[in-house]
Amino acid sequence: MTWHLTRRTFLRGAGAAACGAAASLGNESRAEEPQAERMRARPHPQAEAWKNRIGLAEKPADPGAGVQTAIEKLCGPDGVRTFVREGDLVVIKPNMSWAQPPEMGANVHPDIVARVVTLCREAGARQVKVFDNTVNPASQCYEFSGIEAAVRRAGAEVVVCASHRFRTVRFDDHGARSLKEWPIYEDALAADVFINIAVAKVHNLAHVTLCMKNLMGTQGGNRGKMHQGIHQNLADLNVIVRPTFNILDATRVMISNGPSGGRAEYVVKGGRILCGTSAVTVDAWAADPANLPWPKGHHDLAAVECIALGAAAGLGVADPSRIEVAA
Amino acid sequence: MPESKKRPHPLHIARVTVQLLLLALFLGLLLWTVRGAAVSAHPWLARLFLVSDPLVLVGAALAGAFATALLAALAVVGLSLLAPRAYCGWICPLGTLQDVADKLLFRRRPAGYGGQVRRRDRSANPAPRLRQVKYGLLVLVLILALFGIGAYGWFDPISIMTRSFGTALVPIAQDAGKTALVAAEKAGTPGAAGAYDWARAHRLISDDANFKEGGRWAATRWGWTFVALLLAVLLVQAYQKRFWCRNLCPLGALLGLVGSASPLRPRVSSACVRCNKCREQCKMGAFEPGAEGTAYRSIVQECILCYACERSMCPVGAIHIGVGRPAPVRPAAGACPSRRAFLGSAAVGAVLGPALLLDRRSREKEESNPMLRPPGALKPDGDFQAACVRCGACMRVCPTNALHPSGIENGIAGLWTPTFVFNIGYCDYTCNAQAGKTGEDRPATPGQSPAATPRRSPANLCATVCPTGAIAPLARSEKNEWQIGTAVFDRNRCLPWARGEECLVCEEQCPVTPRAISHRTAEVANNAWLKMPDDRRNRYEQLEAKREEDLSAIARRATAESLTPAEEAELDAMPPKMRSLALPYVLRDWCIGCGVCENVCPVDGRSGIRVERLQVGAAPSGGGGKGKGPGPRARRGRGSRGGQP
Repeated sequence: MTWHLTRRTFLRGAGAAACGAAASLGNESRAEEPQAERMRARPHPQAEAWKNRIGLAEKPADPGAGVQTAIEKLCGPDGVRTFVREGDLVVIKPNMSWAQPPEMGANVHPDIVARVVTLCREAGARQVKVFDNTVNPASQCYEFSGIEAAVRRAGAEVVVCASHRFRTVRFDDHGARSLKEWPIYEDALAADVFINIAVAKVHNLAHVTLCMKNLMGTQGGNRGKMHQGIHQNLADLNVIVRPTFNILDATRVMISNGPSGGRAEYVVKGGRILCGTSAVTVDAWAADPANLPWPKGHHDLAAVECIALGAAAGLGVADPSRIEVAA
Repeated sequence: MPESKKRPHPLHIARVTVQLLLLALFLGLLLWTVRGAAVSAHPWLARLFLVSDPLVLVGAALAGAFATALLAALAVVGLSLLAPRAYCGWICPLGTLQDVADKLLFRRRPAGYGGQVRRRDRSANPAPRLRQVKYGLLVLVLILALFGIGAYGWFDPISIMTRSFGTALVPIAQDAGKTALVAAEKAGTPGAAGAYDWARAHRLISDDANFKEGGRWAATRWGWTFVALLLAVLLVQAYQKRFWCRNLCPLGALLGLVGSASPLRPRVSSACVRCNKCREQCKMGAFEPGAEGTAYRSIVQECILCYACERSMCPVGAIHIGVGRPAPVRPAAGACPSRRAFLGSAAVGAVLGPALLLDRRSREKEESNPMLRPPGALKPDGDFQAACVRCGACMRVCPTNALHPSGIENGIAGLWTPTFVFNIGYCDYTCNAQAGKTGEDRPATPGQSPAATPRRSPANLCATVCPTGAIAPLARSEKNEWQIGTAVFDRNRCLPWARGEECLVCEEQCPVTPRAISHRTAEVANNAWLKMPDDRRNRYEQLEAKREEDLSAIARRATAESLTPAEEAELDAMPPKMRSLALPYVLRDWCIGCGVCENVCPVDGRSGIRVERLQVGAAPSGGGGKGKGPGPRARRGRGSRGGQP
């Protein structure tokens, strides 16, 4: 019996080999091609001048109106038009990392994110994207936080992170002292305007989680490794990932079991919405036990070392007495 | 007379159509299964094929794990009484898959093609005694079921299909598709990113950004074995068509026996010319020569009513499938097992059963056996193993890919029962939580249970697909207190304990409220100090001793030598010997063993905290009755513990 390699036999074999190769490759990560990825977002035009300023809305009637008030206190009547231009790609990173409803205070209030989306659209943004690399499964976080539905109504696109869309960014700025590189989500890098919206919570390791720590939601990779020397790592992250604008939702403050929370009783009224061009400055004011209803004796400002480290890297002001509050 | 020129029997065409539709339905349901919430809204649909499987009904009933849903299998039993093994020919997806594989891989070549000459059709049965094996297997697995060992699930064809497709082939295909889309996207193909987003939104490919592991849905360790076993079933047809169904399938054996008295069967008239064509071509080998000089006859236990014989095989049209007098029930010699073979299988089962139970008991004592079962799994573990079909449906539906087939750590009889692999996934606290019900999904007060009946939309998706109820449906409050195991710190690996580095990722992500991991701050050796060379360390000790002597002297109102300002500055410039560090602890009676901590632990390789078998304390919160959860954990007072550093 002779053996002929027929076309059919060959195609069969080749097909099987291709399937096998595809299956065994799976979605293993291949080495990223070395390219210098950098954040493209513009700094706020007044970023240097307003380094020591924050905008503050006290006891806003509703969170949506409050965030607009806070922005206008800081930026004047032009509001977001001071940093969003016609045709911009605006990317918003709210904290929506936990599969919990708004009243648990683990995620940013949906009305705040939705209002910021609306304001950016009105200012002429070509597209507004909202994303967070969540802690709990993404679809549940997006849904239960109420943010997905709210921002869709306001005209934003909601992005669920995919692992192959993170880009390795070298932390080559002299201000970054411990991190060398980290995968950062492509939308955060590609934005013309990048807006960081955090919620005020206590944190079991970092004492509090505010704007600086919220940027961890742009990171991929093994984020658990941020937690060894977390304060320096957070300062480094903030050196590289610099939002155009930062907003802090302190309409309610999680005072126990943070950052995961899980019960409404862990949350107290905060009645404040802050904003600023520097995450460090916003955090310095907010972390001050005098300014927000942190539990008595929970922490002092110096304990939140990332703020001082961030200020040392030139990102903002760590001393609350030097912060000018536009209220 | 040229064969195969006649038009096939209309029921032949109908049969092929039904087969293909049902195979598509089977695979479609497996794909659909990952859409968790939709599955739980129609749980019967997800379980359709398994609960209508008579072998699962009989096996589970004998093992003492009868579930009402399994009564659906009576429909198949009824069908088999009238039309023996029509299930195999028309419905069984494994049968269809064999036919498809046969058509694609082994179709008969025209004579002379490729130099091959057909000598004998593979349908001819060269080994008639081989088909007795399936009866032996049936008897063996049913005897084992009597001992509470669900071994029938290893051999049941629906279980084989669910397992190999659900935990291996479908995930591999999904991952291959994902790889292709990612490659296309990286190459800049227009539309590729949109296609990826569409497929992800429809859960055809998995979310993966926040998991330690990238590979999703595929069964770890055993996936390739399942593929290999399925391929073996398909490829052994090179030797004989439908080899599995003819010789091995215990479900086929059962249905054949049930239908022994069926009036519907192929009947060979006296027009038979004994040309042997039917025997050569029937893919089940369901014809045999009659007594010397008489017509051929069919073996009713083998016929799957495929309707290929009546028009296509017999050159004289002597075969007719029809209803009539139930001709001799007793099959020809060799078609069914002899009494001796039957008793032999039963004896093997009677010895193997106790041996396997003994093996399981000894392995339960093994310290390396984690005994991690899905929430809602029957207790004690023996009851779970008796009810579990080993079909892998729970592994398929698990949204975080945390459930995987076990090896023999739960006993040889426990092979392929589900167990947790927390390095890959974790038992999701909000599993199957539905939109708009989030308030009750995380009950604010202990003991508060959501209004939804657990049967309808349980908080554990694995229960929705389990055909036998080996995994019981749980309400949200029950699931969130169900203790799978207990997290234990490995102080040789945990970063704060082993290396003096700050961490607490496990505490941060513990979903239990208040968290079952807490910490205290303690003075520990400072790594920076330990890194100093010996002479610097000695100098530090010297200066520090001097300062302490001075301090204690002041306290005693005595005088001692003080540090000079230069020495004071030198000491302050050196890193302190001790630093304060948060050290994590597990609160055993609050821990539900969901494995988030093990999953997110940043230690490379084995995690610094791992879920081990349930650590039951003397406290009244421990224990756990048969089929029930361990009961509500001793709940703590509300409010903050104020333990923040």
